[in-house]
Amino acid sequence: MARALLLRITRYPLLPATSAPRPAPRLAPQLLARHAPTPLRSLSSSASISSDGPSAGRKREEVKDSNVSKEIADYLGMSDDELMEQCEMGTFKASGPGGQHRNKRESAVRLRHRPTGIIAQAVEDRSQHMNRASALARLRTLIALKVTLSDSHLFNHVISNYISVRRSINLEEYTPPVELLQILPLKSTVRGKGVGPQIGPKNPKFSPGMQALLDLLYAVEGSVSDAAKILGLSTGALSRLILSDDSLRTAANELRASKGLKPLR
Amino acid sequence: MGPLSSPSSAAAESKIKAKQPWRCSPSRPAPSPHPSSSVRTAARTACASPPSPSPPPPSPRSRRRCPATTPPPRGTQTRTRPPLFLRPATHPVPASALAAFRRRAAALVPASAPHLHRHLRWLLADASTTSDSDPALFRAPLDHIESLWLGHVRARRPFQYVVGNEHWRDLVVAVKEGVLIPRPETEAVVDMVKGVEGFGGGWWADLGTGSGAIAVAVARELGDGGKVFATDVSDVAVEIARFNVERYGVQDKVEIRQGSWFEPLQDVKGKLMGVISNPPYIPTEDLPGLQPEVGWHEPKLALDGGRDGLEHLLHLCEGLSSALKSGGFFVFERDLTSNICASIWQTNGNKQSEFLVDLISSKWSSSFRDVKAVLDFADIKRFVTGYHR
Repeated sequence: MARALLLRITRYPLLPATSAPRPAPRLAPQLLARHAPTPLRSLSSSASISSDGPSAGRKREEVKDSNVSKEIADYLGMSDDELMEQCEMGTFKASGPGGQHRNKRESAVRLRHRPTGIIAQAVEDRSQHMNRASALARLRTLIALKVTLSDSHLFNHVISNYISVRRSINLEEYTPPVELLQILPLKSTVRGKGVGPQIGPKNPKFSPGMQALLDLLYAVEGSVSDAAKILGLSTGALSRLILSDDSLRTAANELRASKGLKPLR
Repeated sequence: MGPLSSPSSAAAESKIKAKQPWRCSPSRPAPSPHPSSSVRTAARTACASPPSPSPPPPSPRSRRRCPATTPPPRGTQTRTRPPLFLRPATHPVPASALAAFRRRAAALVPASAPHLHRHLRWLLADASTTSDSDPALFRAPLDHIESLWLGHVRARRPFQYVVGNEHWRDLVVAVKEGVLIPRPETEAVVDMVKGVEGFGGGWWADLGTGSGAIAVAVARELGDGGKVFATDVSDVAVEIARFNVERYGVQDKVEIRQGSWFEPLQDVKGKLMGVISNPPYIPTEDLPGLQPEVGWHEPKLALDGGRDGLEHLLHLCEGLSSALKSGGFFVFERDLTSNICASIWQTNGNKQSEFLVDLISSKWSSSFRDVKAVLDFADIKRFVTGYHR
């Protein structure tokens, strides 16, 4: 938990306290440098190269279209409160009356920025306040990205990459790699005897297995039941595996959100 | 914003400590010598006795609802242990024992409740120091942690009572049996009052403060001259609220007064910039159907809203106009999703949710303006706000 969160904080720097005076630079490039973490920037450049359109041309267009850029840069210059004003905040599960009726510790936050339609979410912390701050920080990053990539197709492409870089899988010839088999529960029917005991989230070897699982999940468009079939597990058993580790759960849910699916809880 | 960027409550705690050492109980400061602190009227009627904080919760089957005949002794909690997450980590637990505990604990989690795996991780995080040392250092013996876990999984004791805290806004609020666990919906109240003109220097009242979460969060936003009067009728609430106020070092901004609703505030009548309250609002008839974590363990005193859930809300509305100064603001949390008011408002069922708004703006129309229902984050009409004329 703490580990996952620390990771999150380094990737998405938390917002400064609202009471502290916030420098409000108006220039998009500065903001990009402030808000976009390094791996992101390298991602966005690789996306530009791989896109079919001439990216340099696009950049020029964008400079000409100063209205759009300026408007977006203004979003980034806003204080947290101002930006929040422009967002609809939803939780993933609004079932039942809530309030005094319920004891519910999980407090996922989903922000939809009305002017741009960008959605940012956070589920990793037990405090809703913290999740809101993470989601808002993430929203800033996504808006900053949109400044450099005003083409929405390219933007979406980068977003899906941003969520994580996934190796592509040919499902017809797919056999789960051994690092993935090792993190599966013993009851998996594809696991085989030679794989050894199940590796848990605390083990450093969990991470490669987790990456392989996310690759598979990406290939099946986020469907846990499809992935479960391939891995010889029940949907419930695979869900539990995903939920057992915070960083895996977060990544899986971001991936699912990018496919328009509800988060696992 | 102390603990906002801290990864766990333990780290959050160490940050607070660095700024403001929390005072452990032996020399708990005497209650403020304000005359009204002696007011101890248990003005409420139904099921008004909070459960005793010390013994573990009885099994749900043996628990009788509303043990009105045997109220727990009042004023006996002079000294209590700090909540689990704040105790010193002095119990070494070897890695092998911890691993075995993890296995046993995880085996208790039913497939229908995968969220309990998360609770288990959080319990271990709160109950130990965060380092990866072997032996790990725990804040209680492992067999005690195990019994706490059993209590959570089997007796449905709320996780927040087990670890002794709830993460609420940027705070880690101490809680224990006898005070309502602050709800995420209520966080929005602080943002609402922050937006009121003249907020920072005003006098505010948090009526039925419970853990003191609202009072502390508001106090941390106030400027010079700003102040919160936090009232509660319950002994446990007063004790825990005081603890949280001191833990966050806002004693100079929060004055805790024991008593029912407006009762302890006679001397500030007509001087309040705003009144905030999250009163009990669950209709009495709905209490038996509550989630076990709530219905079996949280204090009825903080949940039971009487007939239609409106008893205390109406009482608060009655007292508002004399408490607030001219132009003063109020926000109440309430519940209008259940079929409350059905009997009162039968002619126009789909307007039930507007009942309180309509009532305040019609019955007390000469006293209030801009009365409206405000949605919570799940789009449920959760709050009613307005201004004194």
